[in-house]
Amino acid sequence: MRRRLAGTGRRGVLTLLALVAVAAGLVLVVVAVAAQQSAPRPPRAVGRIDPAPTTAVAGTPRTSTSDDPAPEVAGPTSTPLGASPPVRVTIPRIAVRSPVLPVGLAHDGTLAVPQPGPDLDKAAWFEKSPTPGQPGPAIIEGHVDSEQGPSVFFRLGDVRPGDTIRVLRRDGITAVFTVDAVRDFQKSSFPTSVVYGGDLHTPQLRVITCSDFDASIHHHVGNEVVFAHLTASHR
Amino acid sequence: MRKSLRALVPIAAAAVPFAVLAGPASADTGTSYQTTLNALNHSSGSGMATVTVHGNQADVKVSWSGLAAQFNGGDYPHVQHIHIGGQGACPTIADDKNNDGVISTTEGGPAYGGIGTTLSTKGDTSPKAATDIKIAPAGGSTDYSRTITLSNDTMQSLEAGTGVVVVHGLDPATLSKQAQKEQSDLVPSLPLAATSPALCGALSSMPSGGVATGTGSTSGVEQLGTFALGGGLLALGGAAFATRRRVTAGR
Repeated sequence: MRRRLAGTGRRGVLTLLALVAVAAGLVLVVVAVAAQQSAPRPPRAVGRIDPAPTTAVAGTPRTSTSDDPAPEVAGPTSTPLGASPPVRVTIPRIAVRSPVLPVGLAHDGTLAVPQPGPDLDKAAWFEKSPTPGQPGPAIIEGHVDSEQGPSVFFRLGDVRPGDTIRVLRRDGITAVFTVDAVRDFQKSSFPTSVVYGGDLHTPQLRVITCSDFDASIHHHVGNEVVFAHLTASHR
Repeated sequence: MRKSLRALVPIAAAAVPFAVLAGPASADTGTSYQTTLNALNHSSGSGMATVTVHGNQADVKVSWSGLAAQFNGGDYPHVQHIHIGGQGACPTIADDKNNDGVISTTEGGPAYGGIGTTLSTKGDTSPKAATDIKIAPAGGSTDYSRTITLSNDTMQSLEAGTGVVVVHGLDPATLSKQAQKEQSDLVPSLPLAATSPALCGALSSMPSGGVATGTGSTSGVEQLGTFALGGGLLALGGAAFATRRRVTAGR
């Protein structure tokens, strides 16, 4: 009797332990499988970078080359704004709404990026570039992923010409940009003058993140750049 | 759910492989500088400038708008220069030594230095052409693009971070009554407004190469730790069943 009771007790505990372990193990594996994700791949090239303001070619249909078959999406360029730093960027297409912090250059001369800590997954504006809405290309960047997983521009590869990007500035004005083009550049041949320069006359926006993860060397070898121009502004 | 699990399983974070960030490799040869051009002396304009140096040649682009458009019945000439050897900064109203409300070109000197290169539309680009209004961009806006030879002085100043782009020429109507009567500190035959700085921007290096905006944590297998723990628990459960069977068999 005592032996049977003891045996039943041990068996019961073991059964319970086994069931709990198996159940917990299954849950963890399911969770891990569900957590598998990868950033959308940006297209190599769609749209036209820095299309001339439509006013400059009024009445003249623009021709598109075979290299650049994307439909023309450029709307009229809005009047440039004065200087005021960005505080928030919103990209409705990919449900991004992020604070924007200023960044400078890293010691190696590249654009610095948000560092581990509370700001890691926020967007950043290059403080020497025009403020969004000023003439020239305002530069906003953000991580595609971090050690903690997806970051602010994880889904930037899903942005396409015609999409809207809104930037709220410290002066309370929201600068509204329309995407002209998306490019996937190799970092080894990154066209700095096209991205950080280009059309200096009209208010432009570039949104940059990483792309093209190379598993063999375990880092991203590409940069996706979204090119947009100012089409409206409002309070 | 995922967050709380992650908190329980610190090993998961540790298991995510650390990526070595890509070293920068700029494809564009040459060194580039850039600046936004902001209004001085209550001018209403703005703009941007880039300078890309290849050897002793430089591709200079200067774009601005919103400046005074007319002067003496014609297009307003706006002389523009790369100033060098100063503090690499734009002057502030504190530099208005004679308190006439206008920072003259001379008063701005300590901040942006002397003239290193004249950004003329054609011909001479030396300091000698600094006030030659016949080869200055004219009108209220411009898209200036010219490849010029840089002097050693200008080159060194760019590298030292003390190159400053200055565009001159104010609308006289925006000046105080006193300042409207003053003559230019540079060309006495001209009014003060004609030669005073209207836009200014300190050149700094353009970012080189691409941007390190990712670690690749979402590119391989994520949640390795969670997988490991889940697998471990399954194994433990299996072992427990086996033990239970042994206990049953031993009875």
